[in-house]
Amino acid sequence: MQIDIPFIFMALIEIFKALPLTIIITLVPLIIGFLIGIGITIIRIRKVKGLYSLANFYVSFLRGTPALMHIMLIYLGFPLLIDKLAVTFRWTFQSTSIPILLFVLMALSLTAGAYMSEIIRAGILAVDQGQLEAAESIGMTNFQAMRRIVFPQAIAISLPNLCNIFIGFLHTSSIAFIVSQKELTGATNIVASNNLKFLEAYIAAALIYWGLTIISEKVTALLEKRVTVYNRGGVI
Amino acid sequence: MDITLIFDFFPKLISYLHITLLILVAAVAIGLVIGVVIALIRIYKVPVLNRLAFIYISFMRGTPILIQLFLIYFGLPALLTLVHIDASRANPLLFVAITYGLSCGASFAEIIRGAINGVEKGQAEAAYSIGMNEKQMMVRVILPQALVIAFPNFANSVIGSLKDTSLAFTIGVMDMVGRGNTLIATSLHALEIYLTLSMIYYGVVICLEKGFSLSEKKLQRFEGSLSAEK
Amino acid sequence: MIQLRNIQKSFGNQPVLKGIDLTVKKGEVVSILGPSGSGKTTLLRCINFLERPTEGEVMIDDITVSSQKGSKKEILTLRKKTAMVFQQYNLFRHKTVIENVMEGLIVVQKNSKETARKLAMEVLEKVGLTEKANAYPVQLSGGQQQRVGIARALALNPEVILLDEPTSALDPELVGEVLEVIKRIAEEGITMIIVTHEVSFAKDVSDYIVFMDQGEIVEEGTPTVIFNNPKEERTKRFFKRINREAGILESNLSSVI
Ligand SMILES: Nc1ncnc2c1ncn2[C@@H]1O[C@H](COP(=O)(O)OP(=O)(O)OP(=O)(O)O)[C@@H](O)[C@H]1O
Ligand SMILES: [Mg+2]
Repeated sequence: MQIDIPFIFMALIEIFKALPLTIIITLVPLIIGFLIGIGITIIRIRKVKGLYSLANFYVSFLRGTPALMHIMLIYLGFPLLIDKLAVTFRWTFQSTSIPILLFVLMALSLTAGAYMSEIIRAGILAVDQGQLEAAESIGMTNFQAMRRIVFPQAIAISLPNLCNIFIGFLHTSSIAFIVSQKELTGATNIVASNNLKFLEAYIAAALIYWGLTIISEKVTALLEKRVTVYNRGGVI
Repeated sequence: MDITLIFDFFPKLISYLHITLLILVAAVAIGLVIGVVIALIRIYKVPVLNRLAFIYISFMRGTPILIQLFLIYFGLPALLTLVHIDASRANPLLFVAITYGLSCGASFAEIIRGAINGVEKGQAEAAYSIGMNEKQMMVRVILPQALVIAFPNFANSVIGSLKDTSLAFTIGVMDMVGRGNTLIATSLHALEIYLTLSMIYYGVVICLEKGFSLSEKKLQRFEGSLSAEK
Repeated sequence: MIQLRNIQKSFGNQPVLKGIDLTVKKGEVVSILGPSGSGKTTLLRCINFLERPTEGEVMIDDITVSSQKGSKKEILTLRKKTAMVFQQYNLFRHKTVIENVMEGLIVVQKNSKETARKLAMEVLEKVGLTEKANAYPVQLSGGQQQRVGIARALALNPEVILLDEPTSALDPELVGEVLEVIKRIAEEGITMIIVTHEVSFAKDVSDYIVFMDQGEIVEEGTPTVIFNNPKEERTKRFFKRINREAGILESNLSSVI
């Protein structure tokens, strides 16, 4: 067996250039997913009529299927929808002019929304009921109490889970290479096949992902210390 | 889009479900063995091995399954040439099983370790106080309780692995997704095929969830009856 | 003036309050006594609609909120006129002491931050916690936490403060400091309704005593009447038991010493 170590270094540099796209494919879905998650959580906690079962199904279905399916379904299905609408409303717009990246971001946002809603809900349920009552007892509206008192505490409680989902999505973003996105994994693939040094290229990619993960973990540990300063020395 | 095509594709795809499940079962079996060994190494802080175990877990937690899959696919045959074994023609299923097994091993190890550490300290002390030795304490007191703690995480991890198997096709495995891709090439109905695949995955996940939650209840009842006896 | 009219409350089909009528005049301190499970907490929570009564109405000053018709807006107005001190303190965990006190002043009463801070500081002065203003609740003793709870309520200058067993979660040596603070604000003429098991404190601080059992008011009157001359059998039995328990506690203590 021969491993071309200098090539690993070259590959590292080459692949690393794709980092911005990986960050985009990781962060954008998480941010949009967070908002979706809040919406879903409100629907589920308030048991909003009509939407309640729909929200439950959304969460269950997206958590129950591989992210690859979400990407493929949106990537294949959304253009059909657009083209149909274009015909009905006589748009000149064509689905082929939409960059694939957009479909990937849409799909992963939906995925993230399902996971986020579970995290947020668990966080909210973990906040002591007395906090809400205390807030309402001084005359806050339910909305104010949720936003100012319950929600910040729920997020602090959820921080470890939010870190996990970040790392999870950092890794999930690698699937995007299947629909020819040139993020870290896509770039690795190109470097590998251009030079016919597959093992070396994937070692380089692994090192990059591994490093990013370790950094994320370290950052979370720091954040956790800051955000839960009020928990220091106290029982939860 | 033609929804009725789903009825055509469904039997064709589900006839490959057993490959997907085979990968899952192999991965979980390999993972359990690795997981227990690694957890023991880490709990007893075996010198050197503990360090290696830590790196192994960190690496598996730190890299996407897709990258791990490629690493094994390209790396393992290269390694094996050192001992003059030619693995370049091996069934890709083998690589998939090994990759997913290694990946499961890392998560199971952490789950087991967390669960054992999660059992209240007083339990061990109580066991010693009535004269049990370390092994009795582990087997009779800690492990049964750890099992209950570990189970939900274990279930989640297995379901996660099932979903991960959807990527096995990237190294040419003919599982459901692999079969789906060949069907796409001939039928040009990709959307319907992915819809069908999603439905099958969803169905399997729901079944697994039901099964796990039933077993969990059983486990907890067992726990309850145990404590009632005391 | 606060008036409760025919307050009833059931959980499922278990009646917990069976028609409570009570009037509390401005500046009055009313203590509610009664055995565990008699519905004291529930009654208090019905007053600010943390628990919506099944029947009856709550009147504070010019507003009346009725059990069924009470709208969200009316309940909010009601809550702006009341404040509550909880058995488990329920301080906002993610906010410092002074932020806990400022929260209602800013969000509910729309004061500016500076005004709120000034008002909060004044109230903290009253409960003797100015030097803890920037501590988080977990860094305080139970007694200190409860004093912040009282400050949070007091700062809003409500028509009435509802206190639910404010000292029963506290270690015995911390009870005194909290009762001290309550007594001081009682003397300032703040209207209060207090659920408590501290009989001698109730005797000391109250203008009026209400004795509840099984969801009803069994007997009510001035402390002198209720404590020295109870008419109802249930009241007498309750005090006898309380006295006996207190006696046992004392004899235990003396035997330890
Ligand atoms: N949310 C609820 N759901 C069902 N039953 C309840 C609920 N809250 C209170 N109860 C019941 O109502 C009755 C009165 O409870 P409450 O807490 O008002 O009593 P209390 O007089 O405050 O007792 P304590 O002195 O122990 O605090 C009890 O039997 C209790 O079990
Ligand atoms: Mg009570």
